[in-house]
Amino acid sequence: MGAPSTHSPNPSPSTRPPILAHLDLDAFFAAVEVLEDPDLRGKPVVVGGDPHGRGVVSTASYEARAYGIRSAMSAAEALRRCPRAVFVRPRHALYRQYSQAVWDTVGQLVPRFERTGLDEGYLDLGALARDVAHARAVARAVQTVIRATTRLTCSLGVGTSKVVCKVASDRRKPGGVTVVPPGTERRFLAPLPVRALPGVGPRAEDRLRAAGIDTIGGLAALSDVELAALLPGSVGRVLRDRARGIDPRGLELETEPVSVSSEDTFERDVTDRKTLHAEVRRLSEQVAERLRASGLAGRTITAKLRYADFSIRTRSTTLSAGVDDAATIGDVACGLLDRGLRERPGALRLVGVGVAGLSPYRQLSLEA
Amino acid sequence: MTADIATSTLHVTCARDELAAALGVVSRGLSTRGAVQVLAGIHLRAADGTLTLAATDMEISLRAAVSGEVSDEGAVVVPGRLLADLVRLLPDSTVVLRSDEGDRTLAVTSGSHSSRLHVFSAEDFPHLPPLDVPLHTISATGLLGTIEKVARAASRDESRPVLTGILVRFEGDRLTMAATDSYRLAVKETELGEAGPELEAIIPARALQELTRIASTSETIQLGVHENHVVFNAADVWLTTRRIDGQFPNYRQLLPETFEVELSVPREPLLDVIRRAGVLAQRNAPLRLRFADDELRVTAQSQDVGETEESLSVEYAGDPLEIGFNPEFLREGLESIAADRVELKLINPLRPGLLASPAESFWYLIMPIRLAG
Repeated sequence: MGAPSTHSPNPSPSTRPPILAHLDLDAFFAAVEVLEDPDLRGKPVVVGGDPHGRGVVSTASYEARAYGIRSAMSAAEALRRCPRAVFVRPRHALYRQYSQAVWDTVGQLVPRFERTGLDEGYLDLGALARDVAHARAVARAVQTVIRATTRLTCSLGVGTSKVVCKVASDRRKPGGVTVVPPGTERRFLAPLPVRALPGVGPRAEDRLRAAGIDTIGGLAALSDVELAALLPGSVGRVLRDRARGIDPRGLELETEPVSVSSEDTFERDVTDRKTLHAEVRRLSEQVAERLRASGLAGRTITAKLRYADFSIRTRSTTLSAGVDDAATIGDVACGLLDRGLRERPGALRLVGVGVAGLSPYRQLSLEA
Repeated sequence: MTADIATSTLHVTCARDELAAALGVVSRGLSTRGAVQVLAGIHLRAADGTLTLAATDMEISLRAAVSGEVSDEGAVVVPGRLLADLVRLLPDSTVVLRSDEGDRTLAVTSGSHSSRLHVFSAEDFPHLPPLDVPLHTISATGLLGTIEKVARAASRDESRPVLTGILVRFEGDRLTMAATDSYRLAVKETELGEAGPELEAIIPARALQELTRIASTSETIQLGVHENHVVFNAADVWLTTRRIDGQFPNYRQLLPETFEVELSVPREPLLDVIRRAGVLAQRNAPLRLRFADDELRVTAQSQDVGETEESLSVEYAGDPLEIGFNPEFLREGLESIAADRVELKLINPLRPGLLASPAESFWYLIMPIRLAG
């Protein structure tokens, strides 16, 4: 055509609204503690500080919530409400390992997601679901797979923006899926207490309630003048937009692969060290192959152990240079597996090998 | 050392500052892995007017003693970190430690302060290597100076235990140490001025680095050799360390006999360039060293971070040569050299490069990072 090439913005993508989901693990810390100690199953479990001191509740199991125990309540108050509650100190290093297992699983189903915490994050279902009804089925599938691989349950909210999804995931806990179809966002949010809106803290809540605004709908209906008086500055406008279901925030995705990993579940639980090492070496070969295919080497090597009771341990080490060869990855991963089994012996139902801290550079080695 | 007095009684009064200093030294031997609880404890033993402190992580052990007024002889094992943190802060210049028969606690009293610490069973504390070996006296500067030049090249990767150690060889009055993490190799020879023990052993780099801390102000260090471990004594502290089993790489074979390029470079200016460029070489990105027309140009770039370039004039007339190195490896090699000039020898971008200081009998070999395109 001969037309001079000019730098023009990309043609606007289809006007179809995004389909997002917020995933929230149910009473995550407490659920992990129950998984780690099956005797806790069915009991009111409170993860948090010392109930005889100044401790605070971090997470309460649903059995404990039945007694009115909530996060951020003083542990002493929790004990008063339920004297037979089992109090457990938080073990964050352990929760990180379970969290990683959950998000590895999510990543196998949903390529685009953003982790916002150990127990929550946003998924982009746009590429997987043609509409919100279909997205409900995808959300159910995510729940099923997470439960199958980790025995943890989660709730999801599906909608067109982060704020709507986040509010929706909290509506049917535990184990629920709440879908908010496009066009119904404002109606969905309107009757909920204003504090349920992400971004509204205790101080904003006090000011709004003092002005007689108890619901998100009330906030959504404020005029510019009223808003400026109650919540001055840009914060007020952002919150009112959210109350109307408007939230321009997209997902913050990792652009480069953060890690390469491979894992395998045994048909029967395995204790034989030789078999475990052979499997770790086989997985190391798969990982090395994928690293070389993408021209990457990594410094941090992780071995993952899942025991017969579904409990998970991971052990990692960071080398002084990136590696991409199966033998080195296998040596290190076998050593980490041995360390894991020394610290917690038992039959394994799954082993995994991961390499992180990736870069495209290849440090040559002296013996090579 | 626990065999004779195994009861958990103990009553001793000692000076706070002396005790705090000894706890500070010994607590570096505590195990940082929580697998065996008693290894997080310091073994205290009061007898003969002395309080002896010991800690071990099963690889190294540290022992120190402070004088005290012993009213009741005995031994206990106390959570080490806790006791060290507490004693440092005590209000009075003297401290009383007391544990009575049947107690599972140690009472710590100083002035207006009193605490009770839960103790571990002294019987569970491992037997430590004996200290009654023939000792050789070695110059501290010679020994520590050698350790400091090679220790950083040792590996921290426990999957290859041999490389976490330093090869230590005494031959006559000459001491040689070598360490490699398989990406670089450091070798240092030192004339001690007098004969040491006959010894060739792989000793954990961690233990030798600990020795440099303990003996930093000592003039001499005593060394004793056991079949399975080595004993050091300096500044009234005993350090024992396990010897690592296995075959250390034949480092002489790793050093190339000939090089294509040999340069003499001013050390300090080169080190400054490397340090500055290293700031912009992130996430394992290499430094690129390009030699051409009497100039060394050092560049680095990291995605989403930025890039840097700096030149240094050198005597180089050969074909242009570009080679990539890990900035940390280069920096550590240059920092280990004291001389004004350093010899830099290269073969090609895929073969090792050498930093050498012949006057110091020091050689530091580094494998390059392969540069794309």
